[in-house]
This record gives sequence, C-alpha cells and structure tokens, in this order.
Amino acid sequence: MKRDIEDATSISAEDLGKLTKEAAAEATPSRARIMWGEFKADKPAMVSLFVLIFFILFVIIASLFINTPKMIQTNLMGYYAKPFTPEYWLGADSGGRSIAKELIVGSRNSISIAIGLTIISSTFGICWGLVSGYFGGMVDLAMQRVYDFMMIIPMLMTIIVIVTIIPHYNAITLTLILSIFYWMGTSRLIRSRTLAESQKDYVAASKTSGTSNLKIIFREIMPNISSLIIVDTTLSFAENIGVETGLSFLGFGLPMGTPSLGTLIANANDPENITGYWWTWLPAALEIIILCLSISYVGQVMRRATNAAQRRGNEKN
Amino acid sequence: MSLIEIKDLKVHYPIRGGFWNRVVDNVKAVDGVTFNIEAGETYGLVGESGSGKSTTAKAIIGLEKATSGSVMYKGKDVTKGENRRKLDYNHDVQMIFQDSLSSLNPRKRIEDVIAEPLRNFEHLDKEQEKLRVLQLLDIVGLDADALYKYPHQFSGGQRQRIGVARAVATHPKLIIADEPVSALDLSVQAQVLNFMKKIQRQFGISYLFISHDLGVVRHMCKNIAIMTRGRIVEVGTRDDIYNNPMHIYTKRLLAAIPETNVNHRDEHRKHRLEIEKIYQEQQSTYYDKDGMAFPLVKVSPTHSVALPPHLAKEFEQQSENEGVNV
Ligand SMILES: Nc1ncnc2c1ncn2[C@@H]1O[C@H](COP(=O)(O)OP(=O)(O)O)[C@@H](O)[C@H]1O
Ligand SMILES: [Mg+2]
Repeated sequence: MKRDIEDATSISAEDLGKLTKEAAAEATPSRARIMWGEFKADKPAMVSLFVLIFFILFVIIASLFINTPKMIQTNLMGYYAKPFTPEYWLGADSGGRSIAKELIVGSRNSISIAIGLTIISSTFGICWGLVSGYFGGMVDLAMQRVYDFMMIIPMLMTIIVIVTIIPHYNAITLTLILSIFYWMGTSRLIRSRTLAESQKDYVAASKTSGTSNLKIIFREIMPNISSLIIVDTTLSFAENIGVETGLSFLGFGLPMGTPSLGTLIANANDPENITGYWWTWLPAALEIIILCLSISYVGQVMRRATNAAQRRGNEKN
Repeated sequence: MSLIEIKDLKVHYPIRGGFWNRVVDNVKAVDGVTFNIEAGETYGLVGESGSGKSTTAKAIIGLEKATSGSVMYKGKDVTKGENRRKLDYNHDVQMIFQDSLSSLNPRKRIEDVIAEPLRNFEHLDKEQEKLRVLQLLDIVGLDADALYKYPHQFSGGQRQRIGVARAVATHPKLIIADEPVSALDLSVQAQVLNFMKKIQRQFGISYLFISHDLGVVRHMCKNIAIMTRGRIVEVGTRDDIYNNPMHIYTKRLLAAIPETNVNHRDEHRKHRLEIEKIYQEQQSTYYDKDGMAFPLVKVSPTHSVALPPHLAKEFEQQSENEGVNV
C-alpha cells in the first residue's frame, strides 16, 4: 500500500532535504517570536514586562541577604523613624522595623504565594474544565455538581476557619489551602469554551485519525483556547496577589512574624498611621497597584499575540 | 461481498425537558437506513440540509453512537467501539469534512495535520513521515512550502485538498466525504472533485459521497440514495435516479439543479415551479401520518422507491407476476 502512494507522485527520498529547506523558508514565525514582536509594538507593555521581571527577581535575590528573624525584632531606637535616611530608606514602623526590608521580604512572600496559588489553582481549574467540557454528558454533570458545591461554600469564612483550626501552618500550606477554593472560576470559563471547541470538525477529524481522548484534550483543544488560558491566568495572578494580602490584612493570612504586603498595608488600620506615618503603609499599597497594572498590561499583549486579528506587531521581523 | 454494509441504522437524539430533565421526545435524525458500498465505487447520498446525511456518516465512521442497527465491516459490527479498535477501523475508513477551515486545527502546521493519522496508525520514522507528507501534498497538487504553514494561510479549495491528503494518508479503503465541495466556488469544486477522482483511480478507494446537490453527484457516483427526514426514499443507479425518478422528493431535487444554459432558464424555471406544485399537492400521500417516508419497494432489480401504499401494491403484484424470471 505504501507503494501506491509512491507511485502516484514523483517525489522520492532524494528530494526530502531540498523540499524541507524550501518549506522552512516559507515557514510562519514561531509563537514566541510573534509574542516578542507584539511586546515591541506596545511600549507600556514592554515597560510593564521589565518592571515585573526586574521586580520579582530583585525581591527574590535581595530577600536572600536579609536576616528575617533579626529584621522582625523590635528596635526601640527606630520608633517611627522618618524615611529617606541612610539607615531607614523607607522609614520604620512602631516597632522600629525597617519598612524597606519588610517590603522586600513581604513582597517575596506575597508574590511567591500568588505564583504558587496561580499555578496550582489554574492548572487544576483548566484540567477540570477541559475534561468536563470535552466528555460532556454524565461526566460533565458529575463534575459540575462538585463545582456547584464548591461555589456555595462561603469561601472566605471557610478559609478563616481552617486557618484558625490548623495549629501550625506556613506559606506552603496556606497556598495549598487557598488553592482548594480558587479553581472554580477558571474551570467554568475553560469548560464553556471547551464545550464549543469540542463540536468543531478538527476534533472529529482527530478522533477518526485514531488520536486518544487525552491527546485530543491537551494537544488539540488546549492550544486553541490558549489565549483564554493566558489571559485568565494573568488576571488570576493579579487577583491572587490580592487574595493573600487581603487575608493577611484581616489577620488570617500568614502567621505572625511572617511579613507580607498585607501585613504592611494593615498598618493603615491605625488612624494615626494613615495621617502621621504614611510611610508605614503607602509603599506596599503603591506596589500592589503597580504590580497589578503591569500584570494586566502584559496579559493584554499576550492575548493579542495569540489572536492573529488583534496583532499590532509586524510579523515579518 | 460488499465492502461495508449498513443495515437498518438508526440514530435518535433524545430531547430532554421538563422539571426533571427527562427524555420527553426523540429527534429521529436517522431512522432505518440500509445500503451497501462496494469496493472501489462511489456511492452517493443525497438530501436537503437536515435530512440526516451527516449523522449517517458520523454513525458509520463511529463519531456518533448508533441507536440501533448495524454497520458490518469485515464481518464485524463496527457500531461497537471494541470492534472498531480490534479492526483498526479508522485506518481503513476516513472522512473529509464539509467545512475545511473547521476541520483543520488552526494551531497545527500542515505537516502535523497530515501526519496525524500516520503517527497513530503507521509508526514511521521522522524522515519517512516527512517524505510521506510531501508525497501526499504532491498528490493533491500542493507545493512543499505548505509544510510549515497554518490552515488559515490557504484558500478554501487548498484547505479541502489538505483534508483530502489527510484522509488518504493511511491509504484507507473507504473515505466518507460529507459535502466536500459544498462550501467552495463552482470553479474550485471541479478541481477538488478531480483530485478525488484521480485518487480513487490510483488507489482504488471507495467513497461515500454526500451532497445536497444532485448536479455534483451526477459526475461522481454510480449508485445513489436519496434521503429525507432520516429515511431513504429512493435508491438506484445513476440512470434510475436521473432518467426515471419516481419519488416526488427526488423529482423536486432534480428540478432544483441549477440550469447553466441561459437559453433554457425560463423553461427550467417553469418546470421547477410545476414540480414544486405537484410536490405540495402530493406531499401528504408520499409520507405517512407522522410525516415519515414509507418502506422501500423494489421497482426494478436496481431501483427501489418509498412509494405510498396504493402505488406500492401495484408494483408488488407486478413483481410477483414477473417474479419467476427476476
Ligand atoms: N447532536 C444533535 N442533537 C440533536 N439533534 C441533532 C443533533 N445532530 C443533528 N441533529 C438533528 O438531526 C437532523 C439531521 O441532521 P444532519 O445529519 O446534520 O443533517 P444533514 O447533514 O443532512 O444536513 C437535523 O434535524 C438536526 O437538527
Ligand atoms: Mg450535513
């Protein structure tokens, strides 16, 4: 049977190299290159990208040089020290702790938790939505009931209760606990797109080409909803920074003695701090705003890059 | 023995509704379809949109679960999943889809699109696989530079040829072509059909050729089945259908073939309106009280028609009289 196909064409093994080269010359640019072109075409997004990368690297590396136990000790000499002095760049709080150092370590904690939470909850939500939407029928029905159940649980209250009950927990366990409650939005979104995508003929063609369900889900359908996944993941990342900070702000996030952006902003709970000692809370608040804005800019560019019709970058270069 | 035998195939979709989401009714998309496809022939399945052609195709290839009936291939009923796996059924039976854009994954390069069935059914090494893809592209008249492009970079006709290349990749015995040219311009239609015919001659492939247009089917098929409302109303050779149509639905489809000769346009239009009038008048007699077609009656050795009971009786008596020499 292989013979038949060879007989029907004049192309033989000798031509392979030459034709492959011809094809490579005409090849469409890779996705990474398209994305880079898109960033180059959008200056604010480019700046945002660098701010994000630089900032995340900075807090991770800088926090390695900070002795956290020593940092969180009370130091009476520094009681509400003014900012912009050689010893206290951003001043100090009521315990005389350096805000600059707390900000670095706190950012690292908050960002790490947000990244961990985003990776775990998005991965789970995406898989849940893909499987539910692809198989449909009874599988979908059962999986959606689990979804409904998770949705009706009062989330914040449950998290607070769990955190209060568990005697010892740290950043990792907190991330895992939060992950249980933050996959539903993603899963619903992915499911609805997967339902529509599964009806398309290319999925039928893959089935009749003998491709397994698992491969169809992750290698055929998932790339087609990648723009949705990218946008949703970046937005969840921005949102997840808020989740941990919000909890810490309320006093139910990271345990005592672990600084985070939330505990820093919590300084604003004290009216005296709001008016008199602005440096105790303002830098952290500004940082969150800048981070979230940057992330959403980057997310927008990624969405454009994955959607040919919206591109601004020139594909040719 | 036929290549594939479809026997009393039914596909009913449940309609759910009411408070408990129970099955309240069925859509009888396919309701008792029987026909055989011989090796190397092109079998035409024709009917208006919504008559159940695609559902029939999907049930035959295993994309849709059959409610009842059987599809026999190599002596096994391939409506059952385990039989399909045992026979490597989709190595032998492939499909070409109507919407060429939707049937090619927009995220995959043409090389990966065409190689997909090869990767699953024939384990070639990288070089051999690429060579085969290039040969397949050549067979459907596309250049090697298509290899690393994406589907949206091609025209409709080119995309459909890529679909054809993918379908013949594993050298199947049967290709189900579900309205392969309906979405294409008239000029491009002929081109794609010619490639399909060329491939059939070279590889001896059978086609189940689905169309809503009897004009297209005329050039492709030796045997034709006319389908409406989930049932076949007339089966016969090309000659039976075009020169001796007996069911009013077939007559109406024939009248709907566009007339290309400008001089006869008016005449043709008058003829079509006449047929339409007869169709409206006789519609009630040609379908039963539920609007379904009647069982098929043999009117000649090759020709069967779903005639209404009073006409059917005549033919039965006739064939009984002639029965001795048939
Ligand atoms: N998944 C489905 N659920 C319910 N009804 C369907 C489904 N698929 C098709 N149908 C119905 O079955 C009938 C036949 O459809 P189809 O086979 O696509 O017709 P054709 O290909 O001849 O245009 C139509 O009335 C359609 O509405
Ligand atoms: Mg159809």
